[in-house]
Amino acid sequence: MIPLVKDLTQHGDLIWNLVARDLKVRYRGSILGFLWTILNPLFMAVIYIFFLRLLAGGGMIIRYEDIIIGVFAWQFTVQCVTAGLNCVTGNTALVKKVYFPRIILPLSVCLSAFVNFLLMLLVQWALLAVLLAMHGAFLGAATFGVPLMSLYHLLFNFSLALLVAAANVYFRDAQHIVNLLLSAWFFMSPVMYPLALVESIARAHPWIGQLYLLNPMTVIITGYRAAQVPGTDFPWTYSSLVGLLIPLALAVLAYNVFQRAQRYFADNL
Amino acid sequence: MIAVAAKGLGKWYRRQGVGAPTLRGALRRWLSNKPPEGFWALRDINFSVPAGETIGIIGPNGSGKSSLLGLIARTMVPTEGAIETTGRIAALLELGAGFHPDLSGRENIYLNAAILGIAREDIRRRFDQIVDFAELREFIDMPVKHYSSGMYVRLAFSVAVETNPDILLIDEVLAVGDASFQMKCLDRIRQFQKKGKTILFVSHALETVEEFCHGVLLIHEGRLIRQGNPSDVIFEYLKSYMVRLGMLNVEEHGTREVEMRSVRLLDEQGAETATFYTGGALTVEIAYHARRRIEQPVFGFNIKTGNGFYVFGSNTQIAKVLIPAIEGAGQVRLRIKPLTLKQGKFFLSLAVHSWDHAVQYHRQEDLHPFLVKDVSDDKGVFQLNCAWEHRQILK
Repeated sequence: MIPLVKDLTQHGDLIWNLVARDLKVRYRGSILGFLWTILNPLFMAVIYIFFLRLLAGGGMIIRYEDIIIGVFAWQFTVQCVTAGLNCVTGNTALVKKVYFPRIILPLSVCLSAFVNFLLMLLVQWALLAVLLAMHGAFLGAATFGVPLMSLYHLLFNFSLALLVAAANVYFRDAQHIVNLLLSAWFFMSPVMYPLALVESIARAHPWIGQLYLLNPMTVIITGYRAAQVPGTDFPWTYSSLVGLLIPLALAVLAYNVFQRAQRYFADNL
Repeated sequence: MIAVAAKGLGKWYRRQGVGAPTLRGALRRWLSNKPPEGFWALRDINFSVPAGETIGIIGPNGSGKSSLLGLIARTMVPTEGAIETTGRIAALLELGAGFHPDLSGRENIYLNAAILGIAREDIRRRFDQIVDFAELREFIDMPVKHYSSGMYVRLAFSVAVETNPDILLIDEVLAVGDASFQMKCLDRIRQFQKKGKTILFVSHALETVEEFCHGVLLIHEGRLIRQGNPSDVIFEYLKSYMVRLGMLNVEEHGTREVEMRSVRLLDEQGAETATFYTGGALTVEIAYHARRRIEQPVFGFNIKTGNGFYVFGSNTQIAKVLIPAIEGAGQVRLRIKPLTLKQGKFFLSLAVHSWDHAVQYHRQEDLHPFLVKDVSDDKGVFQLNCAWEHRQILK
């Protein structure tokens, strides 16, 4: 970890430039650039809510607030993973010619996705405040802890980006596999439904509920919801604690895997 | 002080199929017990470069030159042996690597500088010089995707020369850009040399290598074949490799009733060389052996450029030099003076045939390559003897 810190402080300029490049390219031209990045998850949220209400009927309560938080958080992870996939393979010439710590490539794409997420967070808060006000409620007290929580979310996303970035260098079909896994994972995480939905199933089969809480995405999204929407509780169980700790273990694993793999990046590009 | 030292350096690559590596391929490799197939891109490389020297790396395509630069730049890890470097290394990037097409020239300068490890402050200070050097003042705020390839290269080179590294790696990047910009680049490289920087220079432009480098490494099939002073190594390279690798339609045929046993290209002092100077002399010395008595043989030659353009050809018959009859060993000398060829790579063909051209005894097509260096500023393939006159008629 110490060499990592040294690398990163020495190449701060490069990281900053790469993040700025990503953001500039994304928002180039106008405010419309930013608008699109918000409209995309917003449309997703609206479509999910529409169909879920249609499918579930009146029996299940699905709140706009939950869906918006879920979709925004999910988008953050998806952005990091998909950008991470191509961050090394898309910079072949650089990786072959110039020495710099390779970890900067996945790091910079995750940081730019993070900046993006923070901007979206402002939109999210505005939306939530309006939605909550409609039934006379206010944003949860822990709302201001959300940026702090998102740092942990960032660490998790970064670990995933490290793994997929390295994998994609060695087998180029990693992107197809990852896309497949992402869509499966999407349904296994409480993105477009609240955790309560799973809890009702878990009453019959408790092990399903415990297993479900091991998913870091479950605890992260539920954490966001618990912080911002009054009346949502975080399920403190052993499983959810493990789910919370998995990103830490994953970070250590991913870092080591990436550092080992990056030695031979130039050979395999 | 040694800037770069390679000790028993080797680089092994797994032989890869067509296209990108896949999971299926990886699984198959993993499941089958066969040892992975591969090849040594470099093996047993030993050399050291004293600080402040410029070293050319030459060799045919695929000989391992770029792998060697990759190992020096630390973008690759050696399979065996070690490479040691002292000082900061920078590589001149190939055409716009690290540029983003949607960003302007200005933004790309900062981005590229960061990639090359130049402090933002330095770039800000030197920004105007960089833009002027690249001759891109009025286009600097335009997205680089609208740049021509020449503009791209100029921008890339201008940033890269700002790196001020201790060791500069140049991989054939100077082949692009127009002639005047190339001159500017070479000037910059001279400045680097004056500042005592170490330069490693991969190039096929042998004339440039000979002009700039203190030493040359000749690499072929991953082995360091020779190292030494530029003209010797280039001579050997031209003689033994370019010909063998069939860069031209090299061939040798004939009845061999008369055989050219040795051919030497000599300079004015009579020393064997492969590099000649415009305006100087070139002597071809042919030692032949005739198996039987041959009446009135004709010796001929021609010279072509590297891309097959026939420059000049003549023989003893045309020149009205009658050789009555030959038998056994003998020598023929062809003297070209002044040499009016201009800078470039040329190929000499030699032949000995019968008076009526019916029998080719021995013909060596494009078998003898040589370089011509030119110190004048005139352009073209030949030096024409020309003089200007000016007269004012009316005022």
